[in-house]
Amino acid sequence: MSDSVITYRYENLPDDQPIDLELTKPGHYRIELAGKGVEVNIKGVFQAKEQETVEVQVQIAHLAQHTTSNTLLRGVARDQAQLKLIGTIKVEPSANQTNAFLTENILLLNEGARAEAIPNLEIQTDEVKCSHAATVSSIPEEQLFYLQSRGLNLQTAQDLIVSGFLKL
Amino acid sequence: MARFAPLKSSSKTTETNKQWVAAPAESDYQHGFSFTTDDYALISQPGLNKKIVQLIAHHKSEPAWMLKHRLQALAIFDSRPMPTWGADLSQIDFDSIHYYLRPLSDTAKTWADVPDDIKTTFERIGVPQAEREYLAGVKMQYDSEVVYGSLKSQWEKDGVIFLSMDEGLAKYPDLVKEYFGKVISVGDNKFSALNTAVWSGGSFVYVPPGVHVSMPLQTYFRINSENAGQFERTLIIVDEGASVHYIEGCTAPAYSSQSLHAAVVEIFVKKGARCQYTTVQNWYKTVYNLVTKRARVEEEGEMIWTDFNMGSKVTMKYPGFILAGAGARGETLSMAVAGAGQHLDTGSKAIHLAPHTKSTIISKSTSQGGGIATYRGLVQVAPQAVKSKNKVVCDALLLDPASVSNTYPTERVLTHDVQLEHEATVSKIGEEQLFYLMTRGLSEEAASKMIVQGFVAPLIRKLPLEYAVEMNRLIDMEMEGSIG
Repeated sequence: MSDSVITYRYENLPDDQPIDLELTKPGHYRIELAGKGVEVNIKGVFQAKEQETVEVQVQIAHLAQHTTSNTLLRGVARDQAQLKLIGTIKVEPSANQTNAFLTENILLLNEGARAEAIPNLEIQTDEVKCSHAATVSSIPEEQLFYLQSRGLNLQTAQDLIVSGFLKL
Repeated sequence: MARFAPLKSSSKTTETNKQWVAAPAESDYQHGFSFTTDDYALISQPGLNKKIVQLIAHHKSEPAWMLKHRLQALAIFDSRPMPTWGADLSQIDFDSIHYYLRPLSDTAKTWADVPDDIKTTFERIGVPQAEREYLAGVKMQYDSEVVYGSLKSQWEKDGVIFLSMDEGLAKYPDLVKEYFGKVISVGDNKFSALNTAVWSGGSFVYVPPGVHVSMPLQTYFRINSENAGQFERTLIIVDEGASVHYIEGCTAPAYSSQSLHAAVVEIFVKKGARCQYTTVQNWYKTVYNLVTKRARVEEEGEMIWTDFNMGSKVTMKYPGFILAGAGARGETLSMAVAGAGQHLDTGSKAIHLAPHTKSTIISKSTSQGGGIATYRGLVQVAPQAVKSKNKVVCDALLLDPASVSNTYPTERVLTHDVQLEHEATVSKIGEEQLFYLMTRGLSEEAASKMIVQGFVAPLIRKLPLEYAVEMNRLIDMEMEGSIG
């Protein structure tokens, strides 16, 4: 992974519509909400397979008042791959009335696959609502069992669940 | 952090001490705890070197292996850099600290000698009279000795050992040698190495197989022994199928002129055993509290840390458990109340090494007056720990715009068949909640207090009743004058 940081800076909202940002490649991102009232929805879907190490670092910096961010990062790791999702919500003292949410979900498909989920919060003012959630798990056996009882084989059932998981 | 230790660990105010007695005037300390006692038989020279370590070991007539251990730890302490993460530790001056204080055995003091403001604090927190006298350094009353005596004979009948660490080492050297430094090794971190080099005091607890200690063991009971709490070392061994609840600390604000507290607590929970370790601490607001606590839990065992952090200038403490046996369980309930000038960096570590292990970490923090509360945690699941489950919940409450709340959880999963969940929220006291309570006739301060108490209630509930009551009153006191 390269060390260069890809920065997105939003000063204002065109047409008063929330901005949708999709992260497609692993790497190091910084998203700045620099204008009053800016709202950003960030989504990212990542897959790691074979011997890969996939690392995604996203820093969401709230620099202005009344800013909102919704971040959803999802990933699937299979084979011997390693997947790392590091998300940080940073609320500067100047960013009152901030709402920020960060979710990280990782699915581990087989033995040998590894994952690291690090959702950080750094909050420096009090007029905020911030939360994050993270999960790391395998595919629940009940879901596989259900699909198999409907006549799908294990591989198809697994593929179906994964594609559903990654569809945002 | 022995229950009343810090009161005793205040030192002679000699010229050399003055410089390391906390810079803020003692009158700044709102709870009015300050003791200048002359009751120390031995005070080591400030600073740390081989000689001091040898002096400590010599004074305690320790076995040779312990001295070797201490010297090895000293070398590691010297060679390690200061941690650069977490709170700012650059102000600690290791050369001005006295590493060994040995109190005289008899401290003749009467209740009448205790300063009025301290009595007032006790009154407000609601500490029972017998405890107050002990806290204030007055000798134990006859009644309490009777209570302690009957508990003690029960423990002895069951084979429970509950001694100070120094006595434990003297009486059961083999048992101590078998476990000492086995879950927190000499070189675990800089401050555990410091503790290993100069440790003194702390508790030694052994509970034999199948014995359930019904009353919580409190350092409070362990009278006539050295409670001194600057570098205390605690070792608890709960044998197969046994259970124990150990309580350290005290809700009463503990004055200590010492600027550094570095304790180590090691716990071994054997097959099917259960251990609950409760810390209630409220250090003087100039103290650096850097503590290493870890438990090793065998098959079907259970470890519960209840960790309440108030006071201190800096606290860095992450009680952990290594779930080493199949089906082992671990739980941490952590609470931090950070006020002006404080940085409380607390959390927990859960290491899953065996299949079907479960852990829960619940953390709640409040920040006010520019205080910083940080949750820092690690959940690691080893490749062999299949079917393991973990849940981490962190909630933080910010009481004013100047305060800071951070959450740094790390979840490292090296196997696929697991379930890990993490959630965290940071928020301020809701305007609607405040408004509602104020329409009911409460002042803003009373309303805020009520909301904070509701916020921490799920954790306070886990405390024994008298501690819970004291804790609630203490939170009230901490919040006084901070609103509006």
